[in-house]
Amino acid sequence: MSLLEIKNAKLKLNDKDILKGLSLSVNKGEVHAIMGPNGSGKSTLSYMLAGRGGYDLESGEILLDGQSLLEMEADERARSGLFLAFQYPVELPGVGGMSFLREAVNSRRKFLGKEELDHLAFVKEARKVASKMFVKDEMLKRAVNVGFSGGEKKRFEILQMAMLKPKISILDETDSGLDVDALKIVSDGVNAERNDDNAIVVITHYQRLLDYIVPDFVHILSDGNIIKTGGPELALEVEKNGYAGLINAA
Amino acid sequence: MLHNAKDKYITSVKDYVSQFEENSFRKLASNDFNSWPSPREETWRLSRLGVLSRKEITPIIPNSKKKVSSVSKFTGSTIIRFVDGALREDLSSKLPPGSSLDILGEEDSLTCFHKFKDSNLKDHPSTNVSFSCTPSIVKLTIEKNISIGGFFEIIYEGGDENLSVHPALYIELKDNSSITIIERFNHLSSLIMPLQLVELKQNASMNSLKIFNDNQQSYNLSANCTFLSDKSNYNSFSLIKGGLFTRSETHAYLKGENCSLNLNGVYLSSKNQHHDLTTAIYHDVPNCTSKQIVRGVLGGKSTGVFQGKVRVAPDAQKTDGQQMSRAILLSENAIANAKPELEIYADDVICAHGATVGEIDDEQLFYLKSRGILEKKAKQILITAFLNDIINESVEESVQNFVFEEAELALSEIISKEI
Repeated sequence: MSLLEIKNAKLKLNDKDILKGLSLSVNKGEVHAIMGPNGSGKSTLSYMLAGRGGYDLESGEILLDGQSLLEMEADERARSGLFLAFQYPVELPGVGGMSFLREAVNSRRKFLGKEELDHLAFVKEARKVASKMFVKDEMLKRAVNVGFSGGEKKRFEILQMAMLKPKISILDETDSGLDVDALKIVSDGVNAERNDDNAIVVITHYQRLLDYIVPDFVHILSDGNIIKTGGPELALEVEKNGYAGLINAA
Repeated sequence: MLHNAKDKYITSVKDYVSQFEENSFRKLASNDFNSWPSPREETWRLSRLGVLSRKEITPIIPNSKKKVSSVSKFTGSTIIRFVDGALREDLSSKLPPGSSLDILGEEDSLTCFHKFKDSNLKDHPSTNVSFSCTPSIVKLTIEKNISIGGFFEIIYEGGDENLSVHPALYIELKDNSSITIIERFNHLSSLIMPLQLVELKQNASMNSLKIFNDNQQSYNLSANCTFLSDKSNYNSFSLIKGGLFTRSETHAYLKGENCSLNLNGVYLSSKNQHHDLTTAIYHDVPNCTSKQIVRGVLGGKSTGVFQGKVRVAPDAQKTDGQQMSRAILLSENAIANAKPELEIYADDVICAHGATVGEIDDEQLFYLKSRGILEKKAKQILITAFLNDIINESVEESVQNFVFEEAELALSEIISKEI
């Protein structure tokens, strides 16, 4: 059984077909990259998976570990082990980073039947993970994403991923707005979380990120459907020839 | 002008003052109380008092033996208690050196009365009624060069159904003095009309925190008139959560250069409560700054009002006046009104204002939910953050926790019903 199974997903936004019967299977231990030009439906796919209001499927099915996600709200999906790293992480003025993380981690732990972490145990764990992501203590004391640089925001996203230990992570254009150094830090963070029990779906415009997070499969998304699937070499082809050739061939 | 003879409250106020001399401040004040403000008056359009003329209320005769029920929330604060609107020295603390509390005689009371009557609070109902009916005007003086460490906690309580209470406090900070005052309004009365006159002399600095938490059937019409001299600083924060109808009205006159003023506030409204923060800031001289941040959270069928007027006189160049109000509605039946009003007659000023009324931000809510946090908890986090922000900015650190706790009590009441 696949860890994540998207079957014939159709979705409309404002009466316009955005996803047109998309299917995708992701197994444990795999990293999948979804590449596509602007407007191909990449961000819609990530919001749909995460359960954002207004992004409900018209038809189709999504299964996480065999369990349908469609009837679940965003929070339940997250507790069940789905994580979305946002392309544009949202600022939360007045919400301290540490208490936000703790609330999120304990929600997941509670769902898994684990004991909630007390303040001290949590802070210790958070600091350990944060230092690996080069996230300073001071950043955790600030309000979530408020006044963070582009790189800091993305590092904080991956820090959340590392703390929540999801089954499947969707990284939505995690490379956007990052310089080479920041890209390396973020990618190292993601790679450290790769294991045989989880899976990662990387959504990106550019091949660059895939030099750092090497995928097992690359899918080309165009006009609401996956038009081609291949190995890492497919990303290089896109880099070399652009999307146009692939789309025309399909 | 003849008053409306059918209005029993107005008659009862006139009856009450009949015992005083013709030229006493009480009589002069009562002469000007002939009607409640009409909803046609712009500043009362959004907060109507018509219902008061149909109530059977009379001014209270203070009971000087009444026991108190509100306990101090701080250790080491200097406590001043008003019960039934009257100062209770027997229940108040010994004052620290450099400060004094006096009951004003007729002459000083008259001076105080004229200061109100010379301001734009001259027609406020509390001005005329409370000068008529107050047991006495109490003056708190802080002497020159005295910085009061710790803080004053002024607790107002007492009153009863169908009675009105009239505490009147005059605070004078002489040159280079400073103080922090926390006022807690915990009345049981039907009608509460507190008066406050604040005079900050050169380089004086006052932090003021007011918690309006009167009982759920009461009307509180608080009127505050503040005068700022050169280089003085008035930093005020009001938390309105109690009462059926609470209006805190503050008029600040910036009379000396280089003074600064913060008039911030939060209202937390549920059920059929009506909460109103009305301010008027008069920049009469150059080089002063004023800032107002107001936030409201509303549930049930409650109504919130923020009216903020900033007037910049022709000579008041280099004025910096900022005003921002935001309200979050948690119920379809709640209403928030915001009415910023800028009157600017000088040309070299920075003045900005903004007002938003809305629901909880969708994107923020989704972000929290996408981290596994339950919707209810996520909303609670966002609303709390909305308030924490302003409390952190407006309230001095040592009392922030107290304000958070006071706010959280009211907030959980609103949230439990709405989300």
